[in-house]
Amino acid sequence: MVRFKSRYLLCEIVVDDPLCRQIISQGLVHSTLKEALIRAHGDFGFACCSVSFAVKYVNAYTGIVLIRCRKAFYQLFWSSLPFITCLESRGQRFPCFFNTLHVSGTIRTCQKYLIQYNQKQLLRLLQNSTSDVERKLIERSIRSSLEDVDDEEDGQRSSEDELEHQ
Amino acid sequence: MLREWERCPRHLLVSERSNFQLERSRHGVAVRGHPFNYRVSFLIPECGALPVKLKSVIKNFGKYYLVKDLPLHEFVNHDFINIFIKKGAFYALSYNTKIDQDNTAAVLPTGKLILSVDKDTYEELGLQGQPSRYSGKKVMRYIVTIDLTDASFLPDTKKHKRVLWALKENMPLKFDFLLAWHSTDVEVSTAMSYFSKLKMKEYEPNITSSILRDLHCPVLQNSELQGKPEESCSAHELFDWLGAVYNNVDCNNHSYSFISTYCCPQPSAVLSQAYMCTVTGFILPEKIHHLMDHLCQYFDEPKLAQWVSLTVHGFADSPVSWKESEHGFHKSGENLYNFVIFNNQDYWLQMAVGTNDDCPP
Amino acid sequence: MIKVSKEKSHEVATYERQVQKNVSEYHYMKIRLEFQEKGVHLNAPHFKQLILSALRDLHGEVGAALPFDILTFDEKSFSAILRISNRGLVKLWSALTLLGSYQNHKCAFRVLQTSPFLLALAGNSRELALD
Repeated sequence: MVRFKSRYLLCEIVVDDPLCRQIISQGLVHSTLKEALIRAHGDFGFACCSVSFAVKYVNAYTGIVLIRCRKAFYQLFWSSLPFITCLESRGQRFPCFFNTLHVSGTIRTCQKYLIQYNQKQLLRLLQNSTSDVERKLIERSIRSSLEDVDDEEDGQRSSEDELEHQ
Repeated sequence: MLREWERCPRHLLVSERSNFQLERSRHGVAVRGHPFNYRVSFLIPECGALPVKLKSVIKNFGKYYLVKDLPLHEFVNHDFINIFIKKGAFYALSYNTKIDQDNTAAVLPTGKLILSVDKDTYEELGLQGQPSRYSGKKVMRYIVTIDLTDASFLPDTKKHKRVLWALKENMPLKFDFLLAWHSTDVEVSTAMSYFSKLKMKEYEPNITSSILRDLHCPVLQNSELQGKPEESCSAHELFDWLGAVYNNVDCNNHSYSFISTYCCPQPSAVLSQAYMCTVTGFILPEKIHHLMDHLCQYFDEPKLAQWVSLTVHGFADSPVSWKESEHGFHKSGENLYNFVIFNNQDYWLQMAVGTNDDCPP
Repeated sequence: MIKVSKEKSHEVATYERQVQKNVSEYHYMKIRLEFQEKGVHLNAPHFKQLILSALRDLHGEVGAALPFDILTFDEKSFSAILRISNRGLVKLWSALTLLGSYQNHKCAFRVLQTSPFLLALAGNSRELALD
């Protein structure tokens, strides 16, 4: 059996405006990526990537997105990412950029990387935190994430909770 | 996969530097070994009118003939072999057959009949051949070579009967042929009446000439084939530039030009005028050799020009390029050579072939 | 590019042979633009713009950034010789193939000849027309 090989790109959408987080959705990310791809590589580039191209996971709070693309053409797709400068929804434009965190061949390695990455982010938050309440909340979520490293759902939720509290 | 699209098919350029007076000079091999020539062009810098001698040479390039629907078994007929193959150099190439899609046939002056046929024809034909070198894993093209001068090819031998049966009864292949014959002692047109029972037409090579003014021209140094930065241009740069001249490309572009940024290779000089002449048809190597000898003699009297150039284009659809090395058509079927003749009898010879071709001799 | 260079020593530096593989960094294409109807006018800058837009449609901004030159252009027959670097040949060729219209006039590009040698375009034996 031959497997269709894919590449998973783990990206972070960096935005200034916190309002923007409300509009980040799977559909919006998909259409933004598609437009950028067509602009940079044309119909041909989009057609190359459109087979098995999918936004697998979007986290509106952390701005993390996971994108799947065919292995043969992921470079076309990857090279169009820097040309995304804003997210547009219902006539509103929010400046942003895509920061690629990790590229891998399986979704599992992306997950592992994401958990690690989120733990590091928590530690950074801890260092920068000012109030005691915040500090306690962060410590709690770090502890919970260390308890159950393999359970992605849990780790993710705790970090989400954390950011919600900010 | 993306990288693959950025690669181009291979092409070869052979550059040689030598002198006509040298015993081992191989200019004759290159010219005589290239049987089917479509176009001969030459460029003489600093020349306003063609010398009378050269004019008469290109006027006497000889006729060629187009014979319609010539059955292939005519070539294995012994009358034909005795008249044409044994008494001179006979050249035949099927006309308007594309070697990448049709069957193609050619007769070489060495007395070889070469058929390049597709798989279906080959399987029906009943003659032995080799798979084409350039047809990949799944062979779709075969090359059949029949030596007409072979001792075992006399009338009524088994081999001859077999070939005759294959070409006459089994698979009567017919082509439109371009024919030309070179012989020193028999009149060509009388011999050609052999084919008079078929639809035959006579053609003269088509001659066009023009004078180019204020031409930017690269500086050459006969001892420097690769060129020297700031001093002289390489053979490859010259080859490119000659292409620009023959295609009437404007070499006076600015680097910021929207349309084209092509420039004459540096260092360059400006020629006040240059004579360009093109002869198109089915031209025999013997005539080209003759022309080349006369171009060498051009420098017998002192001339302003440092060099003259002689370019010969081969037929893209001929089954051979040089000698008997197989020729094919990939993206293009180029097989051409170019002589740069210097005023001290040095010469540069450049031979270029495309993808489906062997390295030239 | 692979260079093979041999020098025969017994003919002291008077004979030199050099075999160059893939020496040309450009490919040359002879093309012709055909319109369904007559009476369309086009000059060289518009012609280049047309090809650029074809490249942009099919290959995006990256494709449109490919440097190519129009070496000759004939305004009567709309035939031209293009020069393109080897790695852009496939992109340019595909863009030309898929172009279908110019200012609402239906048109098509015909690729007459391609070669890594400009000199080869000066003689195309497939054009030999005898009646």
